[in-house]
Amino acid sequence: MTEILKVTNVEKYYGNKGNLTKALNNVNFLVNKKEFVGIMGASGSGKTTLLNCISTIDTVTSGHIQIRGKDITEMKSRSLSSFRRMELGFIFQDFNLLDTLTAFENIILPLSISKVNHKEAEKRVQDVAAKLDITDILNKYPYQMSGGERQRTAAARAIVTNPAIILADEPTGALDSKSSRMLLETLDNLNKNMKATILMVTHDAFSASYCSRIIFIKDGMLFNEIIKGESTRKEFFNKIIDVVTLLGGDSANVL
Amino acid sequence: MYSKLPFKNVRRSFKDYTLYFLTLTFGVCIFYIFNSIEAQKAMMSVSRSTADIMKTLTWLIGAISIFVSFILGFLIVYANNFLIRRRKKEIGIYLTLGMEKRRVAKILLVETFLIGMISLGAGLVSGLFLSQGLSVVTAKLFEADMTAYRFIFSVNAFIKTIMYFGIIYLIVMVFCTVSISKFKLIDLINAEKKNEMQKLKSIPVTIVLFIISIIFIGCAYGLVLKNGIASFNTTLIFEMILGALGTFLFFASLSGFFLRVIQTNKKIYLKGLNAFILRQINSRINTAYISISLICLMLFCTIGILSTGLGMNNALNQGFKFNTPYDVSLEVNGDGNIIEALKKYKFDIYKYTDKVVQISIYQYKKENLTKSIILKPIEKDIPKSVSRFFMGTPLYLIKLSDYNSLMNLQEKKEVSLEDKQVAVFSDYADAVPSLGKTIRSYININPAIVISGTHYKVYDKLITNRMETSAGGGVFLALIVPDSLANGSIVNQSIACFNCKGDRKVMQDKFESDMYALSDKYKNTDKFKMGMATKESVRSISAGAKAMITFICVYLGLIFLITSAALLALQQMTEASDNRYRYNIIRKVGADDRMIRSALFKQIAIYFLLPLCVACIHSIVGIKVANDAIISVGGVNVIGNIIITAILIVAVYGAYFLATYFSSRSLILNSRM
Repeated sequence: MTEILKVTNVEKYYGNKGNLTKALNNVNFLVNKKEFVGIMGASGSGKTTLLNCISTIDTVTSGHIQIRGKDITEMKSRSLSSFRRMELGFIFQDFNLLDTLTAFENIILPLSISKVNHKEAEKRVQDVAAKLDITDILNKYPYQMSGGERQRTAAARAIVTNPAIILADEPTGALDSKSSRMLLETLDNLNKNMKATILMVTHDAFSASYCSRIIFIKDGMLFNEIIKGESTRKEFFNKIIDVVTLLGGDSANVL
Repeated sequence: MYSKLPFKNVRRSFKDYTLYFLTLTFGVCIFYIFNSIEAQKAMMSVSRSTADIMKTLTWLIGAISIFVSFILGFLIVYANNFLIRRRKKEIGIYLTLGMEKRRVAKILLVETFLIGMISLGAGLVSGLFLSQGLSVVTAKLFEADMTAYRFIFSVNAFIKTIMYFGIIYLIVMVFCTVSISKFKLIDLINAEKKNEMQKLKSIPVTIVLFIISIIFIGCAYGLVLKNGIASFNTTLIFEMILGALGTFLFFASLSGFFLRVIQTNKKIYLKGLNAFILRQINSRINTAYISISLICLMLFCTIGILSTGLGMNNALNQGFKFNTPYDVSLEVNGDGNIIEALKKYKFDIYKYTDKVVQISIYQYKKENLTKSIILKPIEKDIPKSVSRFFMGTPLYLIKLSDYNSLMNLQEKKEVSLEDKQVAVFSDYADAVPSLGKTIRSYININPAIVISGTHYKVYDKLITNRMETSAGGGVFLALIVPDSLANGSIVNQSIACFNCKGDRKVMQDKFESDMYALSDKYKNTDKFKMGMATKESVRSISAGAKAMITFICVYLGLIFLITSAALLALQQMTEASDNRYRYNIIRKVGADDRMIRSALFKQIAIYFLLPLCVACIHSIVGIKVANDAIISVGGVNVIGNIIITAILIVAVYGAYFLATYFSSRSLILNSRM
């Protein structure tokens, strides 16, 4: 198994000497190729901070993050941009589609920025669109699409560059249950059929049940890790609920 | 708490809308300076005619100021609406916290009031100091001498500025209250989340609109080039409306059309951030094409006013030397001995001079001689700007001996004519070279003029020496004839010319004031009707007219320029929050800061350049036409004025552009996700 993401001893502090917040405290984990990993935790547990550090948007205080063997904590800001472009794909909660561009233009944008030849780029967009079943809406603007279509467009934009890893931050947060089910199936599809490696942050157990492995974070530290293995999604969901219950309630406080 | 809020908001707004405040201050400042010009004469020694012109100028500036206050009022109301729209979220929070709309309105009113007071104060203070410097320019333009320096404070201009801007701010307050009462809380809270609807125009409609707009503009150009603008009539208004309409349609369809064209070339369209930039501009222009068209038309006015206005200036300047061959000229209509007439009023002209030359201009009696005798054969060559009206008017005659005695006084060469020979005279021809050329071409065909059955040869040179000193006019076309031919004709006009003795400048002033005293004395008797022009008065009239045109052009030009630049800048600034969101996405997708900077620069540059370019194209036609009209008063140095105009525009417009770009850039680059 190839190692895609390696997080070692990552710490992230906010504030100053007098008032220090440890958003991340000695976090270590690995993500292998073709894995669909979920990061779960309550609000304020540090999961989004972790994702921001991995996605090079934020910097760590100490520790190392390696993606495909390259240490992003050592990179200069200029090469970070191109790294982000080449190796990372993003799916955000609020879609982050440009309202002035059509779906096609939104999807092709990262390729244009990376100076991919336009014929090659168009072909890749068409391929991805076909796989995500959005060929019909390529000429529509975001405001003309349904929520699910927008999310799939955003997913297409994330995958079109063939990134090493796709980072999804609460992707179902803004969707109704039907659309979120469709999106999760889309992610599943990306993972299984298009061999994409996905790291998804969520606090929703249902979304998490689509993952193959889940890392739990509490107060900036790793709390638990469960693997789906051969179990069905239903069984995995129940397992997650158990951990979430454990995570949410400090039994000492309740009793 | 409530009383503190507006102060805090104003302080914050100062940082956000520096450009808006500067524009307001600049507007007030310009308004004060131009309205205070008359007060500056306290520092100069001005002649009577200069003082008269300054009065006219003040009156004109007053009239224009009303117009200017409308423009500035529009800008301020528009800008204020923008600012309120941008603060919807904030207003929404006030309302959710339980503040009544009345109270929110009150806060905004106090803010408007504060902003108004501060900009008014700053503008007046800077205007006060700048107008001190301007008085040097004023003195130079009026060719008046500066007396001792004094600090000048124009009470009139001061009160007027406060009054006009007070009214504008009051109107703004009304608008402000009205727009708040219309707001719905839900819209205010969600103001930032709104997804812009793209107005999609179908391709055929866009193309048809674009073609129509080109046809409109083309027709307007064609018509105005054909008809000229010498006369203001319905055709001209029609042409202007056609042009304006064409411009509106042009901007309404341009970006869509342009986008479609570039989209056909995938290689360019999909390169880097091109698609994004084009879409940004497209969405901007689609929602704001009306204001962009207005801005374009205003810029067109700026360019037109500045370059042709300064051009008029040159024309007047050239005329001066040429117009004043003697120190003094007097004229009466009809037959009259001017020296004798003055004697009757106990006015001895020989107190001022040693030698007076009196001549007459005759109208032939035995036959109706009109100018068409000369003009008919060359009719199609006569410049368009010269009215055809002249054709039917009488062709006046000047005695050869009269002409030669005038030339003696000017110390110029006399003309001698052979028997049965006449000379064509036109001092107007020198001012309008194209007319001179045409008349010379007539002389070159060696024609003969028939008067009362006798054939007269035409002298082989066109005679263009000025006959009298006067501020304008001149003789369009006349014949110098042997004395015998003019005998027995009706005297149309009598002219007396002389040069003063002693200190000629002082003597001229004395003569002028003595004559004014005389005419004031006999004002009611109706008998004393005499035209008078001294070299000095012509000089001050010409300098005054020049100053007047310069001031008015610069005034209007500057106001138009800052208004249009401020509108563009303001629109971009209020867009900045939307832009920030979009550029953030671009960054997340992988664009680095360098790409983002260049995209932002291109976007704002295109946005600023587009109306300017269209205005420039309009101006090329406009200046050409205006020039044709001005040429009838004298030649124009177009290139020089265009360079001055261009420098002014580049400086002001460029400053606004850079300010917009840098503040947008810092807003976008500093807002990391």
